[in-house]
Amino acid sequence: MGVKEGGNVGGSSVSRFVSVVVPLLLLAGLAAVPFVGTGPNVIRLLFMTLTLVTASVGWNLIGGFAGQISFGFAVFYGLGAYTTALSINGGIPPFFAFLLGAIVAAVASLLIGLPTFRLKGPYFAIATIGVSEAVRVVMMNVPFTGGASGYRIIDKARFVQSHHYYTALVLAVLAVVISILVRRSKLGLALIAIREDQDAASDLGVNPFVAKLIVHALAAALAAAAGGVYARYSLFIDPDGVFAFRNGIAILLMPIIGGIGTIWGPVIGAFVYGIIHEEVVANFPQAHLLIFGSLLILIILFEPGGVVGLFQKFMRTVRARSSVGSHS
Amino acid sequence: MSAADFLNLFIAAVLLAGVYAAMSVGMTIIYGVMKIVNLAHAGFLMLGAYFVFEAYDRFKIDPLLGVLLAFPVFFFIGMGVHWLLVRRIATSDQPTLTSLLLLFGVWLVLQNLGYLIWGNSDRAILTPRTLSSIEIGPISFPTIRLAVFVVAVASLVGLEFVLHKTWFGRSVRALMQNKEAGQIVGVNVNRTAQIAFGVGIAFAGAAGGLLAMLYSFNPDFGATFQLRAFVIIVLGGLESFGGVAVGSLILALAETFVILILPASYQPAIAFSLLVVALIVLPEGIAGLWAKRRRWA
Amino acid sequence: MFNSCVHRLLQRSKALLHVLAIAVIVLVLVSPAWGQDEIKIGVIMPITGREAKPGQYQREGIELAIKQINDGGGILIKSRGKKLPIKEVFYDDGSDQSRSAGMAERAMSSDGVVAVIGGYSTALGEAESVMPDRYQTPWITPGAGATSTFSRGYEYVFGTLSPIDLLGYTTAQYLGNLVDKGKLSKGLKIALALENTDHGVEYGHGIDNWNKEHPGYFNVVFSEKFELGATDFSGLLQKVKNSHADIFLADAHLQDYITMHRQYIQSGMYHQMVSYGARGPEADARKALGAATDYIFAGIWWSSKLAYPQVKKFNDDYQAFTGHPPDSWYPATAYDAMRVLAVAIEHAGSLDKTAIRDQLRKTELKNSILPGQVVRFGKNGQIQGSFVIVQNKPDDKVDIVFPLDAATGESVAPKPKAH
Repeated sequence: MGVKEGGNVGGSSVSRFVSVVVPLLLLAGLAAVPFVGTGPNVIRLLFMTLTLVTASVGWNLIGGFAGQISFGFAVFYGLGAYTTALSINGGIPPFFAFLLGAIVAAVASLLIGLPTFRLKGPYFAIATIGVSEAVRVVMMNVPFTGGASGYRIIDKARFVQSHHYYTALVLAVLAVVISILVRRSKLGLALIAIREDQDAASDLGVNPFVAKLIVHALAAALAAAAGGVYARYSLFIDPDGVFAFRNGIAILLMPIIGGIGTIWGPVIGAFVYGIIHEEVVANFPQAHLLIFGSLLILIILFEPGGVVGLFQKFMRTVRARSSVGSHS
Repeated sequence: MSAADFLNLFIAAVLLAGVYAAMSVGMTIIYGVMKIVNLAHAGFLMLGAYFVFEAYDRFKIDPLLGVLLAFPVFFFIGMGVHWLLVRRIATSDQPTLTSLLLLFGVWLVLQNLGYLIWGNSDRAILTPRTLSSIEIGPISFPTIRLAVFVVAVASLVGLEFVLHKTWFGRSVRALMQNKEAGQIVGVNVNRTAQIAFGVGIAFAGAAGGLLAMLYSFNPDFGATFQLRAFVIIVLGGLESFGGVAVGSLILALAETFVILILPASYQPAIAFSLLVVALIVLPEGIAGLWAKRRRWA
Repeated sequence: MFNSCVHRLLQRSKALLHVLAIAVIVLVLVSPAWGQDEIKIGVIMPITGREAKPGQYQREGIELAIKQINDGGGILIKSRGKKLPIKEVFYDDGSDQSRSAGMAERAMSSDGVVAVIGGYSTALGEAESVMPDRYQTPWITPGAGATSTFSRGYEYVFGTLSPIDLLGYTTAQYLGNLVDKGKLSKGLKIALALENTDHGVEYGHGIDNWNKEHPGYFNVVFSEKFELGATDFSGLLQKVKNSHADIFLADAHLQDYITMHRQYIQSGMYHQMVSYGARGPEADARKALGAATDYIFAGIWWSSKLAYPQVKKFNDDYQAFTGHPPDSWYPATAYDAMRVLAVAIEHAGSLDKTAIRDQLRKTELKNSILPGQVVRFGKNGQIQGSFVIVQNKPDDKVDIVFPLDAATGESVAPKPKAH
């Protein structure tokens, strides 16, 4: 489930080259979108998808690399959104507002992780649901942030859609870079060890608790930044929107669809989810739960590696066939 | 608050606890035998609610009777789901994330099925019994709550009977204590698991019907109760039936009385907070505490 | 070896190709249609989710208006020299705020609509209201009445729903009137249960305002907010019981009205007057609770019982169009929102969005079906109309009981005690 998609088997320089070129092509394509005249709706769609990429990649750090499945990431998304909103209204420039949101979420992740990381697998998952929903209910009642009426950002600046779009793009790229760096570092190895067998890992000298806390904070920071970028775009947020349980579900579904524990899985999953969600929901508002639920069931039963896993299987079949006769 | 008011509230809490217990016991069975946290429980609660509603709406079957009918119907549905999906994933001594996610997917699908079949308007079951109340001196409570309580407790008693007096029940208890040892003495694990899953879903469906008599419902119904079920089985200890009763009572009392001091809009937070506190402070639930006390004594 | 390298390259490219293919499909799907010979109006309503029922009714009101206009050939556009039909572009926002905002943005930016009617409920309206000024497209909400939406200095935002605090004020005014007529005693105690939204807050303000202006009439002894969509209100109702109030005023949406009142009855509660804000006569509630809804009164923006001839015609047309009678006030504000928009478009003489907006500021819809018979937007874009108080009567009947000149029946106050 966790083999890095880069085809490093054999260390072929061609595959290394390809695994760099394809993402760069994608990035170039995305960067060019506002100039190609596709219209504000496509930009909006891609903007939303890119914020989802950030949240998805972030979740994958703790859920994929470390194997701690959290159902409650909406809490960080929401904290990021509200912190950013409050900061912008307080006159803080957007970049610092996002950063502040990330910091607040990171601190929150420590407060949440300290008691809950002692719990094993599903108990941790259930606890995260409880935390996320408890925060949502509290936010619905806190008058300072508007409570259930929501909170509005007063943005005196003229709305330039491409500004928001590029912010989301840069953030998504940053998220992927962080993901790659973590994966390649000692921390990444430690996390994988923890995911496979936490007790054995600690016997080998890894401190699981600290490792989980660190990566949880990173993950929370990314999810919060995504929430902040979203808040600045839509100018109106409310607890039932940003802290909604279904947000936490979406953040979790995306890496699973794409390939949990890989670098590109969360990215692919976010695109699949973002685009399908918009189009399916627009045309079949009653069916999107069915689709995502069935997808989840099929993935769990037949291909836990998601889209990436499917590709890897495909590649292995192809490679096996082509190595009969010639050598690879 | 007068003594009569307090007593009224207390009785209301106890009646509620009965329903909560019936609602949670399904998850306990499934967890105990297969170590699976059934996230689709909410979906079956919802289906049970609609089942009883349709039985009443179309065939004029009294809802209480509908609940009794729900048991066998959902038993077979549960066995079906197990055969189709659940038996294909590996289970172990520890609850797995695979099972968690699989059943979560099932829940999403069930929710959508509910929308597709019944649309999303709120339904309610209205019988002459629904709005009447029983008065004994200064104490009064809605008739419906008493009826629901009686059925809930009866079904729990029935379950206890099955667990202690039938062969199946003994297999279940054996597997809950030690899976390998159970296999060694001849328990058919797969068969027992399938039946246990069926029983768990049967209780979910029937409990959904009971809840439908008390509250209005739509396809989203079940999520808040699922969370309460989590709280209860965590409080009570995931594998103990006595624990479920204790957990239900604690939650019902907390919800009924805490609300008097807290603003009403914080009410949902009670269950969530209890859940988090319970998970952190009492990882083995109250039953675990009780067992520990025994050991220390 | 070359073979397998090519294969690997192909597999890698497959990923990129898939993404590009999806992008192309998206582009095709969302490219603006160049319908030159029609007037595209965006309609955003929840037809799934929590607010689905009222959203559906509002949609029906809008579609009835569109049908009637199109049956007459459409709207005359001077710059084209002919009548153009209206084309409705409908979006379901699923009662979800971020989707509501997204749909508004999509409609206004890419789908080429000249105006949007949308936003049932304050929450959805607030989310959508960010978009009209951003894309300079007029937006009319027939379902969001909180003044906060209209007090931000927006220029393209309009609403055919009168302010909620006026609703609270009118409710208190009605009760005061009952005291003056001797049906209720002076100095009665009121318990307020408000939903935790702008709507609930403003309703409470309206009642407070009237009480401040008329001291001595009523005394608010309990006021608390509750969470929308809760399944269990017994704690809140217990507190209401403990307050020993004479009058129970709640402000809730349809779902909570039904749940709360069921538990109200089950607890054996009684108050001399009971209201759930703008909810009362809804068919769903009558079906769910039967005779328990008798004598509940509501302050609503419109009633099918109003004695204007245009209301009678609307009732008949609506029944023929949808197969059911109008439910409470929902379709009416939407119907007139579309009609006033049509008048504004005609006065603008073109499909220029800013010109249409300018006309909306000045236009009056003269044979409105709403109380007062005229729709005219205030300076902040919100209509300042009046309310009617209706009271449920036995056998599914409803009477207008206030204002007195529109009344179709007598108020029953205090409520009879149940047997």
